[in-house]
Amino acid sequence: MSIEEQYRTRAKELLSGGAVKMVIGYGKGTTPSRRRPLFITSPDDVERLMLDDACITNLSGYLVSEGLLSDEKRVAVFLRPEGIRAVNILAAESQLDAEQIVIFGFDVSGNEVQALKGIHVEEFSDVIRSIKEGAPEADEEELFEKIEKMSPQERFSFWQEEFAKCIKCYACRQACPMCYCRRCIVDSNQPQWINTSSHSLGNFEWNIVRAFHLSGRCVECGNCDRACPVNIPLRLINHRMAEEVLGAFDHFAGMSKTQEPVLASFKKDDSETFIL
Amino acid sequence: MTKILFSDKLDKCVERWKSAGLTVIGPVQRTNISTYAAVDHAAELEFGLVLPDRSIKDLFFPQSEPMLRYTIKKESINTEECLPPAGPRIIFGARPCDASGMAIDDPLFGWDYKDEYWFQRRNESVIVTIACTKADDFCMCTSLEMSPDSTKGSDILLRPLAGNKGWQVDELTDRGREAFRTIADFLHESSEPLAPSAVVENKFDLDACVTWLKNPENFESRFWKEISMRCIGCASCTYLCPTCHCFDIQDEGDTYTGIRRKNWDSCSFALFTMHTSGHNPRSTQSARWRQRIMHKFNYFPGKFSVNSCSGCGRCSRQCPVDMGITETLQEISKLSL
Repeated sequence: MSIEEQYRTRAKELLSGGAVKMVIGYGKGTTPSRRRPLFITSPDDVERLMLDDACITNLSGYLVSEGLLSDEKRVAVFLRPEGIRAVNILAAESQLDAEQIVIFGFDVSGNEVQALKGIHVEEFSDVIRSIKEGAPEADEEELFEKIEKMSPQERFSFWQEEFAKCIKCYACRQACPMCYCRRCIVDSNQPQWINTSSHSLGNFEWNIVRAFHLSGRCVECGNCDRACPVNIPLRLINHRMAEEVLGAFDHFAGMSKTQEPVLASFKKDDSETFIL
Repeated sequence: MTKILFSDKLDKCVERWKSAGLTVIGPVQRTNISTYAAVDHAAELEFGLVLPDRSIKDLFFPQSEPMLRYTIKKESINTEECLPPAGPRIIFGARPCDASGMAIDDPLFGWDYKDEYWFQRRNESVIVTIACTKADDFCMCTSLEMSPDSTKGSDILLRPLAGNKGWQVDELTDRGREAFRTIADFLHESSEPLAPSAVVENKFDLDACVTWLKNPENFESRFWKEISMRCIGCASCTYLCPTCHCFDIQDEGDTYTGIRRKNWDSCSFALFTMHTSGHNPRSTQSARWRQRIMHKFNYFPGKFSVNSCSGCGRCSRQCPVDMGITETLQEISKLSL
């Protein structure tokens, strides 16, 4: 039985027995290469679930949709390792109760889909540890290294050109499971902290604010990068910040549901005399 | 016998238009995105795209535009109006859906208040459209009473010749004729075989959709919640849309000096309808998606007798969660059976 079939069967069992109220997975998209998020609430609909190498979007952001988990019922969700890490962070930041989340874990290498063993988020710690220790993907690194080798001035020009394309549609924010604020700082308009204008200053402000807010929290699922309609390589910014946080604090985001948020926790014996 | 513009003459035309004082704008591929931008040479133009990622709207209604500068002193308030940068231009190689999108928005920008920012740019632009010879899975012009060679909103329609040799020139407006008079000596009179037009399949029954949308009973239909459940509420569909035209006016600066800007805004955002009291009449994403569809296919045509959609398909093509107008109207077509 394929993993897709196994997971459909499991989804049917869970929905029929009332163990979960919903399964968030992937379904057929507009084109043969596209998959779209799918919300299944009836056991009769599980055949619509798909699982293959085109299932890329990190679905964990839907878990914090307003009201979804407030009835304390369980929800099942298809997640890659990055998505599982995201659930850990959401739990650590008190955005959800990990007990309510049933995970259909999977990973993709090449065109092969592998099932990840486990149901609850704490059962995947070995997988997450192996990602922390594993080498980053080669193709991503190439552009990253190129930017790293640039002089500060060249790097500034690179990002200036990229951010000039930004239209402030906020697709990056909306696609990000970590951007769960009910009211983002850019939407606070009494007073208006951040310019709404999509001019060079406004675009820099937005993208830099987001990079800082994601430092030590980003799981590098790539949702923002793929959602960006003007193709800004946002993953590179987040990857840089993740490396920075890993080097400075040995903090790899989303290791466990009790991991302290690195920029929102304080230790008495901290060598710094202040916190930001 | 018809007028023909051969591709190898285009660079001469660009040069001629430039020396006549026109800015030449066309589809280009830059920094990993395709858009319409000013060029110096024909070689910079990219004619192989189904259509650019960014719509032509940006040229008429930029994402952020200064309206006025202000200085407030103890006894006086000074304002200085900022009008759009003047100058005639020719947009060479627009797609029919983009050109018609501008014509769709004309009545909107002129019905109660004549938006000078829009009309100054409209009046100074010649739109030379190239009919489509290829389409992708997201194109839907034919479902909206348009076609790969629609002339709406264009000053000139170019029909590609077989073998990428050039274009047959259909002059549609005086403005177009005038711009092409400048390059008359580069045009040929002959009849050349045309490249086959793109085939865009009909994707939904527009009339049935409109009837369904106009029925007040369907306003609270469960359909809206179901179809928009995966909508993440970003604005990429509205910002890439050639006809979406909503904006916000913002003052940037301090109490004493600053600039008033007109910035794109989107019905996808919760903040779009947030009242000062904190109440939001469109508090859910489904209400916001319903608004977008209703606006395009019910309210806008109710006022201006034209749908606010030109069928470019960018909304679906770019959606991070694979939604869009096509799917919604296809589902509504099914409901109306």
